[in-house]
Amino acid sequence: MKRYPAYEFPEYVDWRPDPAVQQAFADRLVADPARAAVIGALDREALLSLYEGLVRARLHDIHLKRWVKQGVITKAWLGAGEEAVTVGACAALRPEDVVGPMIRNAAACFQRGMPMVECFAAYLGTTDAITQGRDLHIGDLEFGVVPPISHVGDLVPVMAGCALAFRLRGEPRVAVTWTGDGSTATGAVHEGLRMASATRAPFICFVQNNLVALGTRGQAHFTGDFADLPAAYGMTGMVVDGNNVLDVYAATVLAAERCRRGEGPVLIVAQTFRMGGHATHDEREARELFPPEVFAHWGQRDPIGCFETWLVEARGVAPEALSAIEARVDAAIEAAAREAVSGKGVREPDPATVAQGVWA
Amino acid sequence: MAVGTFLEALREALLEEMEDDERVFLLGEDIATYGGAFKLTQGFVERFGPGRVIDTPIAEGGIIGAAIGAALMGLRPVAEMQFLDFISCGFDQLTNFAAKVHYRWGQPVPIVVRGPGGAAGGGPFHSQSVEMYFIKTPGIKVVEPSTAADAKLLLKAAIRDPNPVLFIEHKGLYRAPALREELPDRAAVGELGRAAIRRDGSDLVIITYGAMVHKSLEAAEQIAREDGAQVRVLDLRTLQPMDDAAIMEAVRACARVLIVHEDTRTAGLAGEITARINEQAFEWLDAPIRRVTALDTPVPYNKNLEAAFLPQVPDIVRAARGLLDY
Ligand SMILES: Cc1ncc(C[n+]2csc(CCOP(=O)(O)OP(=O)(O)O)c2C)c(N)n1
Ligand SMILES: [Mg+2]
Repeated sequence: MKRYPAYEFPEYVDWRPDPAVQQAFADRLVADPARAAVIGALDREALLSLYEGLVRARLHDIHLKRWVKQGVITKAWLGAGEEAVTVGACAALRPEDVVGPMIRNAAACFQRGMPMVECFAAYLGTTDAITQGRDLHIGDLEFGVVPPISHVGDLVPVMAGCALAFRLRGEPRVAVTWTGDGSTATGAVHEGLRMASATRAPFICFVQNNLVALGTRGQAHFTGDFADLPAAYGMTGMVVDGNNVLDVYAATVLAAERCRRGEGPVLIVAQTFRMGGHATHDEREARELFPPEVFAHWGQRDPIGCFETWLVEARGVAPEALSAIEARVDAAIEAAAREAVSGKGVREPDPATVAQGVWA
Repeated sequence: MAVGTFLEALREALLEEMEDDERVFLLGEDIATYGGAFKLTQGFVERFGPGRVIDTPIAEGGIIGAAIGAALMGLRPVAEMQFLDFISCGFDQLTNFAAKVHYRWGQPVPIVVRGPGGAAGGGPFHSQSVEMYFIKTPGIKVVEPSTAADAKLLLKAAIRDPNPVLFIEHKGLYRAPALREELPDRAAVGELGRAAIRRDGSDLVIITYGAMVHKSLEAAEQIAREDGAQVRVLDLRTLQPMDDAAIMEAVRACARVLIVHEDTRTAGLAGEITARINEQAFEWLDAPIRRVTALDTPVPYNKNLEAAFLPQVPDIVRAARGLLDY
């Protein structure tokens, strides 16, 4: 896809496929026979739809960065470089399933079909968003999205509870959420996993291990291995390459099948890396947390670059087909962002309504 | 002596206490390498090493619990909540463990739990006033300074206090240029439990604390200018234990009382202050006690909604005039 030097990480701006990394990407797809079968069953349309999801997520973040630069908003929390964990998981779900995305998984909102305008409007605090300006975290049950609160970890027991409801009613639905590596330290994550495990709820929890929590390397406060957690909690465990959308997709399909068969919750550890800052304001500082080689390593594993290359080289997709998707998504995002901005100062919540809605 | 902001005052207090007392150490999320979400502890790990400036996991219960344990073993921990909203995750350790140790077995728990509170555009989970959850729990002192000098003096006092102290820093004051002032020198330490008169007057007293001290002062100046009445502004500074003597003295001097707080209305501190005045100084009142508070809603994200949620200077002026005319 087109790169944006003003907004993207340097490793992405000059991204070129590396044969060894591409080989590892391809090897990953056949490393596990069950996942390989799921991936093998994907037709061209499904593959392109994954591509579209990744591109939409990336362009959404680039647009938010543009807004920060223009002073439309003061900062934004981005999922750039980690899109595959969100997009691959959501693509594996059915419309009746529910997801609880953290802000870094904002792509889950549009993957589930929430209007892009709303996602942008939430940042602006205008009435175009379901929250009517009351919060910037959004979700909408109509699309099966439970919004997070800021308190990290708190979604885990809540999503386990959604899954419990499905089990109690005998519905073949699953609930999915993501927790950051740092957030696994919270009591809420621990308690949520124990609840899910105890109730054998159809629940999938990702540990999105991007090696960092806010301004501190993960290693500074956790030297264990997340892959050991599922066994400790009595859950089915899987490890995925979080920068390989097909690996994430296939694992989630298999996890959801287990859940729907009543085989209990699944904990999926996704290895990835936060290429940017905790939010847009501390990107420069974040670059100092790891040596440049680490950024080079993960930059080469750009989930979009790798997948794009694979689509063209292994699946014979014409680059023009990909750019056509990109152009379409780009236009849609431009339009949504423009529409959202047009509400600023215009479709603002009426202060007279501030006290309404505390009670149902 | 140096001039500094509210945030610099806090930094100085931590720095000096750590230099002067090797038992004092800091623990919290992103406070070492990153220097804290508000850069309050920037440079501390370089100065004192990772043994005394500890980057913890995201585990507020773990942080407060570990502070309690270290205090029981003779240290003086200062725990940071990245935002005070997140103290909810450590609620049990503070209210059930820390608060009840001394009453149960006579052992002091000298810990400080500090962090940014109050609304400054952060939405429902980065803006809350958390004081009442803790004021209602016997055994926890609660402090909220409103000036840079007090920030330094009272944080030092909190660290030296033998009790668990919740130290609330309104984030809107951190870098407010108007609050820059000469900071007290190294030897000075404040005293918990004492209110301060920020503006003298005898026609009405506004009892308040934290960021609302400044809005109340603005309102008092406006009333002096436009109405010629002199409004006293009493800054509580310590919310638990409260300075009843200063409150009653003000009631006797002014006879009209307005209480202003940023916290929500129901079960906010105003209710408790009102009850105490009724018990201790009712006969001195010439008018019913009134309060200006935030609304009984979560803190909204949109800035216009947030402004409507928060007490504003005109709200204070209006309520004060209502009392003066009573
Ligand atoms: C209970 C709680 N404590 C502290 C915070 C402040 N905070 C927000 S995000 C974050 C780091 C999260 O790290 P991680 O879980 O690894 O997720 P990532 O941001 O890397 O995606 C922290 C400490 C919070 N939101 N909630
Ligand atoms: Mg992380």
